[in-house]
Amino acid sequence: MEFEPKILGIACNWCTYTGADLAGTTRVQYPHNIRVARVMCSSRINPSFIFRAFELGADGVLVGGCHPGDCHYSTGNYYARRKLAVTKKILDFAGLEPERFRVEWISASEGTRYADIVKEFTEEIKTLGPQRRFAIRKGADE
Amino acid sequence: MKQIETRLREEAKRLLETGEVAVVLAYGRGYDDRHPMPYAAKTASDTERIVFNEYCTHNMARYLMDYPPGTRIAIAVKGCDSRAVVVLLQEEKINRENLVILGIPVTGMKDPKTDRVIDASTTAGTPNPVLYDILLGETVPESDASPYVVLEELEEMAGADRWTFWKKELARCIRCYACRQACPMCYCDPCFVDQAEPRWADKSPSIESNLMFHLTRFYHLAGRCVDCGECSRACPMEIPLYLFHKKVAKECEEMFEQAAGMSVDDKPVMVDFRVEDADEILL
Amino acid sequence: MLRKIAVEKVETLASALMEKGELFAPVADSAGVDFQKIDSPGDVTLDFANTLRSPKSVFFPQADDMVRYRLTSGGIETKAVPLSFESRIILGVRPCDVRSFEVMDRLFAGGGIVDPYWAERRKDTTIIGYAFDAVDPADFYTTFGIGAADQAGSDIFMVKGEGVFLLKGITERGEDLLGSITVLEDASAQDEAYFEKKIAEGAGLKTRTLATEGIAKKLEKVFESPYWIEAAAPCLNCGACTFVCPTCHCFDIQDETLFGEGARRRIWDSCMFTDFTLHTSGHNPRTKKSQRLRQRINHKFSYYMTNFDIFSCVGCGRCTRSCPVNIDIVAIVEGAATLP
Repeated sequence: MEFEPKILGIACNWCTYTGADLAGTTRVQYPHNIRVARVMCSSRINPSFIFRAFELGADGVLVGGCHPGDCHYSTGNYYARRKLAVTKKILDFAGLEPERFRVEWISASEGTRYADIVKEFTEEIKTLGPQRRFAIRKGADE
Repeated sequence: MKQIETRLREEAKRLLETGEVAVVLAYGRGYDDRHPMPYAAKTASDTERIVFNEYCTHNMARYLMDYPPGTRIAIAVKGCDSRAVVVLLQEEKINRENLVILGIPVTGMKDPKTDRVIDASTTAGTPNPVLYDILLGETVPESDASPYVVLEELEEMAGADRWTFWKKELARCIRCYACRQACPMCYCDPCFVDQAEPRWADKSPSIESNLMFHLTRFYHLAGRCVDCGECSRACPMEIPLYLFHKKVAKECEEMFEQAAGMSVDDKPVMVDFRVEDADEILL
Repeated sequence: MLRKIAVEKVETLASALMEKGELFAPVADSAGVDFQKIDSPGDVTLDFANTLRSPKSVFFPQADDMVRYRLTSGGIETKAVPLSFESRIILGVRPCDVRSFEVMDRLFAGGGIVDPYWAERRKDTTIIGYAFDAVDPADFYTTFGIGAADQAGSDIFMVKGEGVFLLKGITERGEDLLGSITVLEDASAQDEAYFEKKIAEGAGLKTRTLATEGIAKKLEKVFESPYWIEAAAPCLNCGACTFVCPTCHCFDIQDETLFGEGARRRIWDSCMFTDFTLHTSGHNPRTKKSQRLRQRINHKFSYYMTNFDIFSCVGCGRCTRSCPVNIDIVAIVEGAATLP
């Protein structure tokens, strides 16, 4: 049986989530492995969500927010950029494969781009295989 | 060090006698000379119990938050300790007008457990206080030693090997929270890990709960940790937490061009942004 | 009987003991020496002053599952964790730690309600005590009449001599085990004399002492003293002292669940933690660290004595050694004892 990754997507309401909606209404196909949680702004994201997602067994986490400069709340994504950059450095230093956590700026009009990114990310995670480092309770590497 | 001790006692006495401060945060004798304790002198005669030697490693900034706002406090700080005071000032947890900062420029501090000299490999290696009202000694030459050289070994490892390292270390954590309690910047009440709703981590010291606690704490201290090393010295299990805190500090300095606790006018990096921050930092 | 084995053959001894039951013994790691369940006999070391943490987790683990459960669509399936344990052996327990088992027995197994999680583990465990041959400045077990080479409480008592470990059977259980270990050699009459000499030497080793005369009542008297505020001033309120202590036993019971499966488990708590006595209502009778430090001292030196006729302290000195700010429990108690 082929490995079907469990990917957590966190999308900001105004841009990425709307973009994902657009992909849906325009019937653009993309893999079903991503489960999207909607937040009002990418700056709402608590880095602990991401640590917890991997601890609970997520194979990949994809965060989407508005392009810097276009945040619905003006400056939210500027803070998010810093927070998520630090989060990435922490995950990397702890030894999680860096490819498993990605941040993308996806606007409301970029339906096809959303689908392309999800497609690409899912493929990458499939190649990497199940996440076994932080996901200790899931059987892990021992 | 003896001279610093003398001057420290003198200043403390003067400040308490004149009523300029209500308490002096310094060091006192413990059960032997190698184990001094944090000491809060409240009267002029108390100051005779103040000591200063190479084992006075505690970061007295940790105790600033123990006093009611408005208390006038004199605090003895070494290099890294002074940076912690700066961070607390930046975060408006204490008021500059209520503080008399007694700066101690010093090198050659030692870890009482090993007797090894404490340097930039386990701390920021800042020998001179960055903020002070009175300097209790001569400034010492700044070292060129980078506080991040010690990270090279881990940085050059493959991710899988780094994970093996951290998994082994963090599995040994007994969740005594000595690290958190020793840190001047961990003043949150309640701390995220003590909350049941949402429950970020279980109370039992399983590796996955330990991981949640530590990764989140490393994040919470980003741009705030001044690399004083107290957390690691406090840890009864000798987990090298300083390595991770250093890495986060190094990345924040590179990405945001600001070191923690250097100037009171700085805004901490995680509550700030620049439009020009590069998207490359997310890669 | 007295038997012996060469100092270099610790691994052989450990290996032999592992055949008789689960072995818990000191192992060296980056923080020092600590008791662990032994999987590999080569890990065992008997070269240490005292371990970082006490051996109490052999009977009272830091996380102990009591009931395991699963949430299903039909309800909750629960399964009590069976209380049957393999035979166990603890090797290398210092006399103060041997006494700590007795101290804890009075609470966990002495009359009234018996704690089966403690009692069942205690039942089939053989304790191999180990004489101190030196004193650490933080030690104060002499206070409690515990000698550096006290054999009482051990099933087998071991001393380290010149190039040899001498092991003496103290109880019937100990004699049985000792007799069954073939890698041990029988001791000679000379060895017997040497053993007694070592015991006498141990008896001569004295630690500093804490004056405990009338302390239980005194502590009640000085409950409201502002002394506790000064005493607690350096305290960080971490849990290091309580976690390394052989007689600290406060615990919390938590349901820890994930994806519909989990366990109700008992986990160590600490009177030093801010939320130690936090009530569900939100009220907390001990918000100040002076109250919490006072609680720790009173529990150990007053309430426990009143309730169980023994101090909940064995003078091992671990709390003082592992305190990040070097608080010395002896100084705290003496300070209270000498209050007017």
